[in-house]
Amino acid sequence: MWTTAFVSGITLGSFYTLIALGFALIFGVTHTFNLAHGELLVLAGFVSYWLWKTFGLSLVFTFPAAILLSFAVCLILQRLFSRLREPLELNSVVVSFGVAILLQNSMLFCFSGDYRLIRVPALNQGLRLHTFYLSYGQLTLLALSLLVMGLLYLLMHQTYLGKALRATMQDREAAALAGINVGVMGVLAFGIGAVLIGLAGPLYGCIQYLYPTAGLQATLIAITITIFAGIGRLHGLILGGWILGLVESLAVVLLGASWREMVSAVMLLILLAMKPHGILGREG
Amino acid sequence: MSLLKLEALSKRFGDCWALKEIDFSINEGEIVGLVGPNGAGKTTLVNLITGRHRPTSGRILFADQEITACKPHEIRRLGISRTFQSSRPFAKMTTLENVVLGRIFSKEFQLFTRQTDIDTAEQLLELVGIAHKARLPASDLTLSEQRRLDLARALANQPRLLLLDEVAAGFSPLAVKQAVELVRRVRQRGVTLCIVDHFLTLSLRVSDRLLALDHGEKVAEGRPQEVMRNRKVIRAYLGTRREEN
Amino acid sequence: MRKTGSGLQIDENFPLTKGALLLGFVFLLLLPVVARYSDYVLQVFTHALLLATLALAWNILGISGSISLGHAAFFGVGAYGSVLLSLELGISPWFTIPLGGLVATGFAVITALFCLRLRGGYFALATLAFVEIPKVITDNWDSLTRGSLGLLGLPGLPTLSLGSYHFDISASPVASYYFVLSYALLLICLVALIFRSNLGLALHAVRQEEAAAEAVGIQVQRYRLLSLLLSAFFTGIGGACYAHLIRYVEPSLVYGLHFSAIPMIFAICGGRFTVLGPPLAALVLYPIDQFIFHPLLPAGHEFLYGAIIILAILFMPSGFWGRLGKGHLVSAKTGSIE
Repeated sequence: MWTTAFVSGITLGSFYTLIALGFALIFGVTHTFNLAHGELLVLAGFVSYWLWKTFGLSLVFTFPAAILLSFAVCLILQRLFSRLREPLELNSVVVSFGVAILLQNSMLFCFSGDYRLIRVPALNQGLRLHTFYLSYGQLTLLALSLLVMGLLYLLMHQTYLGKALRATMQDREAAALAGINVGVMGVLAFGIGAVLIGLAGPLYGCIQYLYPTAGLQATLIAITITIFAGIGRLHGLILGGWILGLVESLAVVLLGASWREMVSAVMLLILLAMKPHGILGREG
Repeated sequence: MSLLKLEALSKRFGDCWALKEIDFSINEGEIVGLVGPNGAGKTTLVNLITGRHRPTSGRILFADQEITACKPHEIRRLGISRTFQSSRPFAKMTTLENVVLGRIFSKEFQLFTRQTDIDTAEQLLELVGIAHKARLPASDLTLSEQRRLDLARALANQPRLLLLDEVAAGFSPLAVKQAVELVRRVRQRGVTLCIVDHFLTLSLRVSDRLLALDHGEKVAEGRPQEVMRNRKVIRAYLGTRREEN
Repeated sequence: MRKTGSGLQIDENFPLTKGALLLGFVFLLLLPVVARYSDYVLQVFTHALLLATLALAWNILGISGSISLGHAAFFGVGAYGSVLLSLELGISPWFTIPLGGLVATGFAVITALFCLRLRGGYFALATLAFVEIPKVITDNWDSLTRGSLGLLGLPGLPTLSLGSYHFDISASPVASYYFVLSYALLLICLVALIFRSNLGLALHAVRQEEAAAEAVGIQVQRYRLLSLLLSAFFTGIGGACYAHLIRYVEPSLVYGLHFSAIPMIFAICGGRFTVLGPPLAALVLYPIDQFIFHPLLPAGHEFLYGAIIILAILFMPSGFWGRLGKGHLVSAKTGSIE
């Protein structure tokens, strides 16, 4: 039982990191919080669900549509955020809160409040190893999450673009003085974030029920992991994701599944209590 | 009589010593100038005295009472006021209200503002010369007027000691002259003053004594002419001549 | 006529706004007569008035500069507090409603321990997370609260007893309406008193320049705490009233985003620095939502709230009522304008 919990903690945790990546990137580069992150994720999931349900498309082929839609919405969001005044963190929180409400209601209108799930039976089968059972679904989740993280790492560390992004995250002014167009970096961050959301959304729809207000949980997870990691450290995000996943698994085993929602909230509060000056105070 | 006494006062931020073993006292009725180049630790000293930061070591005594660990609002109630380097009026409130605020929280809590508080505030606005803008938002004032508002607000609680942080920075010669007269008028009301001034525009003209700091250390104290002739002070401001190296 | 910094001409004696306000007040007073044949209209305005009180309560915290995205926590705690006290102990709602407010205040003390050292966006995030705690606890504490099934058949709004005359408020929608209206008017007066007192001045000062406020002798954290406690108290009372009004509670309802988001949106769009802005926004926008948008879009009509908060933050951060220059802080003696 403990090994199952551990395994599910790590696989889920890796997926959580995937969810948090887009959020962390956007925050790092633009210093704005996107509270509609979860809703975007659910929206991507819904698009995937709709294509799968209506046209019988296999899950893999729904990814492009999900990514495209996330892209469109993220671009609009970026335009909105670029008009914000100081203090950016607070104003972005409130505006994105409004966007979240908009998205929730749009999804309510388009898809109704029913709970949906993308069922891919193949994912439920799995391997029996030693004392625990590893489903193909979990394996896919783990593999995909690590793959995407790996690709992102390569992007950030081996390409000029990635270096420019990292520079902007560390010090906006210095980056601007070095000739980097920080405005374009912001757009880029939203763009990459959109791709990450478009990838994570459909996966989310496979493992969790999709309904219009499901986004808040995902947003809380993203915020928690981002604040844990500080800015610009990918391994911080991975560690944060795993810790969150493991603690959640533990909570489910010890207390029951209905306490799961509270875990990320409590962790976030503890993190904020330890870092009252926010995460910008930490060395990048 | 020594009003404010600093004993071996030191402050460290991380690895950096902002102030090292400062010994100094300010006598009642004096005007003391706190001078030194940028980064010398002048504002840090003001922050320590007014409770914004706690000293790493050393003591601060006000009228023989230890105030080293006091918080800003306690300092204010004891009769020490300050102005800020970048003047910070409450921008969305009127000029008059800003001064009223300076008064009502320095004493016992009352639920409503009394007419006496408003009258006193108006008198102070007259003293500093911005009474004609009493009912305008503070954001409508010019820089010099905002500094004067800061001063009025700091005077509102009838302090015994007033710390002015860079109050004349960026002033034209005429404005400096007006500032000198204003400072003298404030002293006449019985307020002891400590003026932080790194351009020396105001403090040379109006101070009884100077305290010169450099890199957190006291390099000179005494009458203005003596301090300004002190080798270390000149070196702090202007560097060394090449022949001396 | 006085000129503000932005060049906007305002005149406190401007008869048009005073007249409009008076007209609105009379309308509210006489609504049950006007809406004689429609219980639905009465219900909508009752709910609008309740939201108005929630917006007023939220704003008490808002003027200190803290934006809370999780006020539903206090709403729900107040609701459950009052409901459980009246169900289990049989105490009359006259007492349990204020007691519910006190329970919410108690919870606010716990919130303050975690959140009050935070500022700005981080404070908002913390409040967002904080709602989950009472929600999940209530959901799981089946023995006490019947969990997600909720509680039915609650005592309604209290009975008015004068001598031998008993009037059951909950039995009559009209009486319920006047009950909530009275509470709303009372709260408006209270909030006006707070804003015009030195407490209000301190909170405004803390919001604008925290360091200067400290230097002037204001104990910043103490005042922020006080504004949070007052805000939580009245939000809790609102929650208790709501529970006894609809005679039903359920965690996802009373801890839901609806009661976190909408009072905040009314407060910001109405005018975060004014007394009347938030309740006016509630009384105008909620009926618009219910009478116009709800029939058009039965699912998703609340997009309206999302849209207006975005527009407000981008184009009118001081709110509609605030933009008109109507937020009088202290009496005209000091000529203050916000």
